[in-house]
Amino acid sequence: MSPLLAAQIQQFHAALASVTSEEALYELQVAYLGKKGSVTALKGEMGKLPPAERKDFGAAWNRTRDEIEAALERHRDVLKARARDLDLARVVDLSMPPLRPPVGSLHPLTQTRRRLSETFIRLGFDVAVGPHVEGEQFNFDDLNIGKDHPARDMADTFFVEPAAIRGLAPGDVQELVLRTHTSPVQIRTMRTRKPPIRIIAPGTTFRRDDDATHSPMFHQIEGLYIDEGVSLADLKATLMAFTEDFFGQRLAVRFRPSFFPFVEPGAEFDLGCPFCSGRGCNLCKHTGYIEIGGCGMVHPGVLEHCGIDSERYTGWAFGFGIDRMTMMLHQIPHLRLMFEGDTRFLEQFPC
Amino acid sequence: MLISHQWLCSLLDLDGPAPDADALATILTGLGLEVEAMHRHGAGVEAILVAEIRGKAPHPQAGKLTVVELFDGERTLSVCCGASNLPPVGGKVALAPIGARLPGGLEIAPRELRGVASQGMICSETELEIGVDGDGILILPDEFPAGARLHTLVPGMVDTVLELGVTPNRPDALGHIGVARDVVAYLSSRPGGRAALKLPPAPAVMAPQDPQLVSIAAPDRCGRYLGYAISGVKVGPSPLWLRVRLHRLGLRPISNLVDITNLVLMEFGQPLHAFDRSKLAEGRVVVRRAHHEEGLRTLDGTDRALAQDDLVIADADDAQALAGVMGGAASAVSAGTTELLLEAAWFAPPGIRVSARRHALATDASYRYERGVDHGAGLERAALRALALIAELAHGRCIAQAEALGARPPRPVIDLRPARAEALLGVAVPTLEALAIFRGLEIEVDVDGLSDRGPTERDAAETILLADPETPNRSPRWSPSWRCVAPTHRPDLQREADLIDELMRHHGLDHVPARFCVPREARPAASADAMSVRGDLLSDGLREAGLQEIVSLAFVAEEKLLHFSDSHDGVPEDRFVRVANPMRGAGVMRTKLVPGLLDALVHNTARHGRPVRLFELGRVYAWPRGQVDPVGFPAGFPVGTRAVDVQLPHERTLAGLLLHAGGRAHADPRVLTGAVAHAIGRLGHRLHLSHGTGTHAAPTVSWLHPGAQIRLAVASVSGPVDIGVAGELHPELIAAWGLPDGLRVAYAEIDLAALPTAAVAKAREIPRFPATSRDLSLEIPITLPAAAVLTALRSAAAVLPAPGEDPVRLQAGEDIELLEDYRGAGVPEGHRALLLRLHYAAAGRSVTDAEVSPLHAAIVEQACLALRARAPSVRPR
Ligand SMILES: [Zn+2]
Repeated sequence: MSPLLAAQIQQFHAALASVTSEEALYELQVAYLGKKGSVTALKGEMGKLPPAERKDFGAAWNRTRDEIEAALERHRDVLKARARDLDLARVVDLSMPPLRPPVGSLHPLTQTRRRLSETFIRLGFDVAVGPHVEGEQFNFDDLNIGKDHPARDMADTFFVEPAAIRGLAPGDVQELVLRTHTSPVQIRTMRTRKPPIRIIAPGTTFRRDDDATHSPMFHQIEGLYIDEGVSLADLKATLMAFTEDFFGQRLAVRFRPSFFPFVEPGAEFDLGCPFCSGRGCNLCKHTGYIEIGGCGMVHPGVLEHCGIDSERYTGWAFGFGIDRMTMMLHQIPHLRLMFEGDTRFLEQFPC
Repeated sequence: MLISHQWLCSLLDLDGPAPDADALATILTGLGLEVEAMHRHGAGVEAILVAEIRGKAPHPQAGKLTVVELFDGERTLSVCCGASNLPPVGGKVALAPIGARLPGGLEIAPRELRGVASQGMICSETELEIGVDGDGILILPDEFPAGARLHTLVPGMVDTVLELGVTPNRPDALGHIGVARDVVAYLSSRPGGRAALKLPPAPAVMAPQDPQLVSIAAPDRCGRYLGYAISGVKVGPSPLWLRVRLHRLGLRPISNLVDITNLVLMEFGQPLHAFDRSKLAEGRVVVRRAHHEEGLRTLDGTDRALAQDDLVIADADDAQALAGVMGGAASAVSAGTTELLLEAAWFAPPGIRVSARRHALATDASYRYERGVDHGAGLERAALRALALIAELAHGRCIAQAEALGARPPRPVIDLRPARAEALLGVAVPTLEALAIFRGLEIEVDVDGLSDRGPTERDAAETILLADPETPNRSPRWSPSWRCVAPTHRPDLQREADLIDELMRHHGLDHVPARFCVPREARPAASADAMSVRGDLLSDGLREAGLQEIVSLAFVAEEKLLHFSDSHDGVPEDRFVRVANPMRGAGVMRTKLVPGLLDALVHNTARHGRPVRLFELGRVYAWPRGQVDPVGFPAGFPVGTRAVDVQLPHERTLAGLLLHAGGRAHADPRVLTGAVAHAIGRLGHRLHLSHGTGTHAAPTVSWLHPGAQIRLAVASVSGPVDIGVAGELHPELIAAWGLPDGLRVAYAEIDLAALPTAAVAKAREIPRFPATSRDLSLEIPITLPAAAVLTALRSAAAVLPAPGEDPVRLQAGEDIELLEDYRGAGVPEGHRALLLRLHYAAAGRSVTDAEVSPLHAAIVEQACLALRARAPSVRPR
């Protein structure tokens, strides 16, 4: 072998031993076998040799190139294996606090209202809405709460200054209020639709109450079902089906007689405590039941006010507070948290 | 309403023992008379004895103390006592012997007071918690035997008081007898139950009728008025049992006459009033409306100007009482009163309610009259009960009586169809039980001519039991209808549903089964309100964009809304919807969501330095422009809602977005418009940003920074539609809310109703061949909007000729990127450099540099030409 080629191989192996990266390996390859590489350059020397030596030199040069290429290839595999081992030796701590995308949140009241609506839609209820500023006719009179009815004391009402309306007969002029409950939506629905009527009406309501447990603005949901042959038993069944969907478990429904002018018979309803499945816990004060809201069979007078035949049709209605339900579900300690918009509160309900 | 368990049980005639307080509470709550609290009284008083004073001697060492020799029925003890009102020898006092524990917790132990042993304690009313008279010891009647346990002689000393929440339909439950009647109906309708009401004695009076005594001049306002003239009254203190009974119910004993009327009030729920008859001109009364400019000094010492709508009880000359509300001072009973005129009446509830409200007087009497007292037998019985007590306790003798009648409410005759009851309740109440309930409630029942005949009623009822009561087959078992007459003490019973409610209350709601009346599969598909769905989708989008939803109050202080009233998109003051009786000074229904969001921002920045990204979806309110003209309105209120709706203000739902970067950092408006773009994308819309006609000099809205605002629009079939506005809040607003000067807060508003229905998104072909891009740096004045540059480039690309079958175009979908908005060195004053990247592609092939370069150059040239018409200094760099 040509001493020149032998020297190249010796040099190459010495250089290869110190190569630790693929980039350096590539540079080495270029330095020896590239267009201007030192081994490539020796090939040009071949022309200067006597013809008899050329063949031998050519063969030797080819062996040299093959040896270098093979060595490069072997070394590349070694480097890859070493790199893989190095990569596998990496330790990633996935217990680090997650980096969450900056998503926002829906207010817990919205979340509860939506879940309630979705549940009742599954049970075949339409969602109905109504204005916040309401005429006394729909907020009170049609609901059997006449001007002289003591039940008007039950709701401490916000009154709204009316606008002057030309040409309205004095008897038709409405006293305006901020609706004290969602029940006027019942009236609006019954006045504009024919039975069967099956609606829920979630919405904002207002009463002149302001303390630790009452906000002057709060939220209710109302349910109404009018058809032939609707009974209190159907209401009980519906509320039970509601608990199954909403709380994921079938809870007991308990009625206690009570009075609301627009239902007769009227009752308050309790649900078996969803937190202890009725066994008794702190949240239900160890009674196994949670007080939820009011309900009853729609008063025949209310049906008549809305032009519905009270002999042919019967129906039930229920209503309860969304705020209380929300506070109960999330165990929110203070009502004020719901309305002051503190981001540190809101981010606790990322939905 | 406070109900004494001991008193209530004394009104029940039962075979077995009376229910204890807990059982009674369960029964009452089950009947809809909710027991809200229970107060147990008299712990420890069983140990208190009646003791007789056998001797008294001053304490040898302490002048204020007396050493009393007491006989406790077995032996004589000596007790030291500091009271000044010790009765003479032979008098009776209440002794707490050694070992007794008083209700307040004090335990009586033997002790020595300056050398004299005291073997017990003589108690006062306060110490026994049966009164408030703490001045001296309790002096017992002489007839109380020494050694007797005091509580056995004074009913109510040991008692539980139930606090009832009485709903406004149940005035009868504002007295013990009414509550007892419910308990009787309940107990007697239980299987094998027997119960009756045991009314207190109320013997008829023999005094002659004197029609002159009372008269009614306003028969529409007073249905019945009973007057009794009483003579020889001796006003004095009430006996112990009466004082204790009133004390337990939270009433202060005053004098025998006042206490008697209060007792009857609590017993029958019937307010009575006693006039000093000697002060009444001509000794008679007339029920009439107040005269013009008539006045009255009421018992509370207030001089009241009466309205002519006020009903008064007057003597021959002047008003002596505000009827049903409060008596007058002039004819009030005093210590020297001997002649009385006792009133028992029924006044029309609405009038009492109006008067009580007008004079801001809510009294025990008005509370009951405005709900409706008994105008029948109960009224007279209450009066006779009071007369008997006045005779017994105050020596008064009835010398004349009179009854005047006005318009009394009729007793409703109600047909009850038991089948209807079953249909409404979903459960059948057995006939015998139903009849027992009605009998207990004193509802008269005539079952198809078989009237309620007392002892034979069960036989009568059984003849209509045509089938087994347990069979859930409704038709044959029930006779078609029962004719019922409501009692005068239950004004709430007016129609069939009310009687069904009575059956339900007493039968018990636990018996109502849970049973769907219509199979669930048969129900129609339900839908949500379209606007609510739109709001929900928008909220979802805003949440995904990193914003947190808040809920704020719909009414705000007027000054917070005045910031917006001059803006053309704002609501002027004269269209504010005002609350007539506001709270917290928040008297105007909001016209913008900005105040609530700014309040929340202030709340947060005062507490932490983190970013605040909020949104609210809520209604705003305004009266419509101009006057509403309800032409064509039918009179009255027909079915429908238009007659009311036309009188209501407009309510619009807005979404408000507020972004604050945290601390003193500035919010990036592009994050704001990005949030809007994402949220409306949820509804299928693409955001278009346009300055419209707004310029720095004449901005679109006045409450945003004049140089930092833009109109938000979306495409619709009829061109772009404005949906709102975005920008930085005006520095004046930032200052008005007390936020740091110079703080930049981004804000956007979207009007939900303005959003058109979006077209369903259509699929676009995905480029199969890579695009080729060219960068462009364009120097433009800072006042020239980037949107104008993009529009100019797109327009240029659209109008340039596109040769060949598959020409090179700006790539659909992702055509132009804005990489940088550079302002600084190398760019002239008042200018900026926009670095843009334009992507070119053809539909079915790769494009070459050779094709793109001339096209790009042509587009840039064409666009610059167009832009220079607006801003001559535009040039590529
Ligand atoms: Zn529980």
